[in-house]
Amino acid sequence: MQKHNQKEHLYKLLVIGDLGVGKTSIIKRYVHQNFSPHYRATIGVDFALKVLSWDAETVVRLQLWDIAGQERFGNMTRVYYREAMGAFIVFDVTRPATFEAVTKWKEDLDSKLVLPNGKPVPTVLLANKCDQGIDVLMNNGIKMDQFCKENGFVGWFETSAKENININEASRCLVKHIIASESDPVQSIEPDIIKPHLNSSKIVSCSACFKS
Amino acid sequence: MLNNWDKWMAKKHKKIRLRCQKGIPPSLRGRAWQYLSGSKVKLEQNIGKFDELDLLPGDPKWLDVIERDLHRQFPFHEMFVSRGGHGQQDLFRVLKAYTLYRPEEGYCQAQAPIAAVLLMHMPAEQAFWCLVQICEKYLPGYYSEKLEAIQLDGQILFSLLHKVSPVAYKHLSKQKIDPILYMTEWFMCAFSRTLPWSSVLRVWDMFFCEGVKIIFRVGLVLLKHTLGSSDKLKSCQGQYETMERLRALSPKIMQETFLVQEVRCWGTVWVATLLDWAALGWAELA
Repeated sequence: MQKHNQKEHLYKLLVIGDLGVGKTSIIKRYVHQNFSPHYRATIGVDFALKVLSWDAETVVRLQLWDIAGQERFGNMTRVYYREAMGAFIVFDVTRPATFEAVTKWKEDLDSKLVLPNGKPVPTVLLANKCDQGIDVLMNNGIKMDQFCKENGFVGWFETSAKENININEASRCLVKHIIASESDPVQSIEPDIIKPHLNSSKIVSCSACFKS
Repeated sequence: MLNNWDKWMAKKHKKIRLRCQKGIPPSLRGRAWQYLSGSKVKLEQNIGKFDELDLLPGDPKWLDVIERDLHRQFPFHEMFVSRGGHGQQDLFRVLKAYTLYRPEEGYCQAQAPIAAVLLMHMPAEQAFWCLVQICEKYLPGYYSEKLEAIQLDGQILFSLLHKVSPVAYKHLSKQKIDPILYMTEWFMCAFSRTLPWSSVLRVWDMFFCEGVKIIFRVGLVLLKHTLGSSDKLKSCQGQYETMERLRALSPKIMQETFLVQEVRCWGTVWVATLLDWAALGWAELA
């Protein structure tokens, strides 16, 4: 792998969202290039690996963590989230309740996981099953770009695991942001506003943000 | 044996255990599970209860989740393959009835494969009471809201592994692989989605007779034979590789005869553990 001076990146990505929104199918489509209506509900967590040739010098290996959507498995998410570098939050465009749960998933994620530099992990929102023709986004006039901005998503895509729409694009978007956040030197996100806190760390209530 | 069950249970329990270890004949399995689990008695004490629950509409919150799962249990089994077919209908009835029977617990996704296996062996009403016994007597707390019991059993499994296979224990500790990453599905579904079918049935035969310790033993056998020597660990350099290995277990160690024999021969060891495992020097046994 090193023989052509290739760099290799390894990223753990989470795929989360409510039950039955299509997390497993998206991963199956992305990794195995197929779609099947015959699949099993995820219990606990499942895994898959995708290798991307990012550019001439870079290979990106993505560990995709497929996490059970039922609420009670939320009691285990702290363990699943550990050391992840990015996330997809998925909802089903035909079911408004799964969109309402998106902010709940985002809060759960951000409260249990931050990057070493203290920032939240880059997260892309996936509006899945867009092939079904019933679109709660359109029907409710939700402005997705604004929603993403307000809720800290780096981007959003309408996807379909069934018709293979936008899944590669969504992944490239997420990886791009992860690479950017990695090369983003810690100093640049520690502007002078933060430095006084560092100097007087005793009065900072959330010192964890500056650890390591 | 089934005709004089009470006598056998009272006086010849060892014989029953041996029969279960050797495998219950397929033609008797469904009935035997009901005797072993006590679900037969439970049904007799609650005549009409299932029909009563069956007629109630149920909480839409649970119905929605259950309906989403109906076609996702053993999707290639002929009983569950067709949408709205008998298998899926019965599965719905059993799971819905449980949410009405224990509204505070509701429905947990891991109950569906359990109920599906039961339905392959008995009618809906019988399967319901058998599910009740599993959820309340065999694996209490596994499916309830906070999932605390399964997390606790994960820790117990891990500390048992320390005794049974220090090599595997050290490896998993070093790679910071929390037990819930690999044992959740194993334990919550009683290996029904992990092992080849003939092994599932043999494990369930023993499980119904001897209880949750069978699940622990199977877990320990699988861990030990997957990660228990430095040779086996060569291909498990990283956390992800290890988890891949645990997910795609070698067919050899899951094979019915091998697995059951391993689980059985650990029986005596297990009793010893309960008495005084520390004094025995388990590292040598492992």
